[in-house]
Amino acid sequence: MGRMLENASKKLLKENGIPAPNHWVIHKSDEIQALHLEKPCVLKALVPVGKRGKAGAIKFADSVQEAQEKTDELLKMTVRNYEVKSVLLEEKLEIDEEWYVSITIDPQKQMPVIIATTEGGVEVEDLVKEAPEKVVIYHVEPFSKLYSYQAKEIWSKLGVTGKPLIQATSVLCGLYDIFLKYDCYILEINPLVLTRGEQVMAAASVMGVDDSALFRQPELSGQVESGSERSWRPLTELEKAMVRVNDADYRGTARYTEMDGGSIGFMCGGGGGSLLSFDALTFLGAQPANYTETGGNPSEEKVYGLTKGILSKEGVKGLFVAHNITNNTQIDVMAKGIVKAVQELGVNLDEFPIVVREAGVNDEEGKRVFEGAGITYYGEEVTIEQAAAEMVKKMEGVN
Amino acid sequence: MAILIDQNTRMVIQGITGREAQMVVDHTLAYGTRIYAGVTPGKGGQNVLGVPVYDTVWEAVKKQNVNASLVVVPPAFALDAVLEAIENGIKLIVVTTENIPQLDSVKMLYTARKNNVVIIGPNTVGMINPKDKVKMGSIGGDRPERCFVPGNVGVISRSGGMTAETSWMVKRAGFGVTTSVGIGGDSFIGSTIKDLLALFEEDEETKAVVTFSEPGTSFEEDAAQFLKEGGFTKPLISYVAGRFTESMPEGTVFGHAGAMISGNAGRPSLKMKALHESGAHVIDRYDDMISVLKTVLGEKVGGVK
Repeated sequence: MGRMLENASKKLLKENGIPAPNHWVIHKSDEIQALHLEKPCVLKALVPVGKRGKAGAIKFADSVQEAQEKTDELLKMTVRNYEVKSVLLEEKLEIDEEWYVSITIDPQKQMPVIIATTEGGVEVEDLVKEAPEKVVIYHVEPFSKLYSYQAKEIWSKLGVTGKPLIQATSVLCGLYDIFLKYDCYILEINPLVLTRGEQVMAAASVMGVDDSALFRQPELSGQVESGSERSWRPLTELEKAMVRVNDADYRGTARYTEMDGGSIGFMCGGGGGSLLSFDALTFLGAQPANYTETGGNPSEEKVYGLTKGILSKEGVKGLFVAHNITNNTQIDVMAKGIVKAVQELGVNLDEFPIVVREAGVNDEEGKRVFEGAGITYYGEEVTIEQAAAEMVKKMEGVN
Repeated sequence: MAILIDQNTRMVIQGITGREAQMVVDHTLAYGTRIYAGVTPGKGGQNVLGVPVYDTVWEAVKKQNVNASLVVVPPAFALDAVLEAIENGIKLIVVTTENIPQLDSVKMLYTARKNNVVIIGPNTVGMINPKDKVKMGSIGGDRPERCFVPGNVGVISRSGGMTAETSWMVKRAGFGVTTSVGIGGDSFIGSTIKDLLALFEEDEETKAVVTFSEPGTSFEEDAAQFLKEGGFTKPLISYVAGRFTESMPEGTVFGHAGAMISGNAGRPSLKMKALHESGAHVIDRYDDMISVLKTVLGEKVGGVK
């Protein structure tokens, strides 16, 4: 899943016929000139996170000077761990009413779902519970587009009539087309504004694109931060380096997430096995320094690069390697990659404990490689939790 | 007996000539599971390790009377492959493909529901019935016997690798499995925990079920509700991994794509609570599975073989 910045999603909306305010991207406050302030403006921090209003990252200005001052304020901010590097300047709409509409996929019904309300400025999740009659929840058949009559019914049930009904119908059909066309997992317009001139316009947009579908979305290349939902902050330098290690070879997967502090280097897999391993260490009071999940039969080079990265973090004083019994990951290949990195870094195993629990394909050879290098190796005779306990015990002797 | 697959399963593999599929064919045949046909467009008339290849599922059904399909095609072709299988009357489809676009998954699952077709996956390691030596998918790799031995426990896992590890824990406790199923790591899958519990309930040989779960989705909450309603009455032993993720910032994904916590939905602690309140044996540590299995099953099946 990947989020798009609002300037990119607004551009797509406009290109596809959805009315939205004029916008500019500002990197420095002195870029703001009289032409930007023909009308009062809105200034929004361009960061890929929601609820910017609550974070104080949306401001208003009536003059060039005021806009410049507030832009300077925004550019000094960090919003939910994202440094603000640019600002979206938009003309302020003359708002009569604020509405809300979102399109997502309902995980329960496994169908696209439209959620709409004409109540502005409220949390939709709360409104659904407190005043369900004010919200329309409408599921759409997966193979179908949204027909005009369907969109019309949604707004009509919310009390919209006259010219705004015609406009809102066309906007919603357009939004649904965009949702399908760009393989979105979310398209949210909050607020959808009814202006004093009776125009329906998208004042703010959140668009997230399914990164599994990027292969058929060449137009979006470079605009979607692929995998951005996997992190609650921008990638660290070490994480970026590990992405490069992973991308250098198509075989196997390797993900690296840096934790605050921690002393145990963590290299486990697969998806479920790594969760179990991390839990096992934390239940025993230990602190892993990173979360790394690897599997799918990675190459020796990939394992080597990953191991070096894990061990390079400051404060790492040991390494825990564990997998569930593998279906296809070759243990001997894992062993060679790990041992190569450990030996190259000159790790002293008396001071730096390494515990391995690996079983599955070619594990006899893997055992030989690990034990040949003096590394504590366990196979299937020991459970993942038992191996984790052994790791924690060995760490007690380390300063 | 077992669920979903047995000696009457007549498997076709869609995408059989691909590199990954050929390894699966090799391991599957070596295990003793028969593969009746393969399908790859343009390669009709060839064979893979003796398995005849056809251009269409229609032909595979006509010539080999296949009734279950293992889909091993790249993400861009998965929707088409599943629709082709459904159109030709296949009622059980295992979709191994990872990274299928969500809107494609939604379309295939919708079509399957309308046609009463069972889908396992997408993004699954597959399933295995060791008594009949039938497996669909890469499950078990080149040595399925290592983890999967015949017995009376059903295994349901949201993680492919942990399907093997969990079945091995069952073996370590002195028991074996009727069927072990990896349900797939995605958020949008065809058969959830609840769906499989319903099948295990009907299976006389299955005396208990073990589940391995992860953060995200409402599969465990739905299963708990199913227990409360009396839909599953056998002992259920559940482990939920990833409790550490609850102390991480919201929206972060660890492990599989389906493992996202948002607000209270998807939290392991709440899943455990729901399962516990509905009468499941929720284990705090994974290794506890062994002792709980011995206690719960020991008397019922007369102990260790």
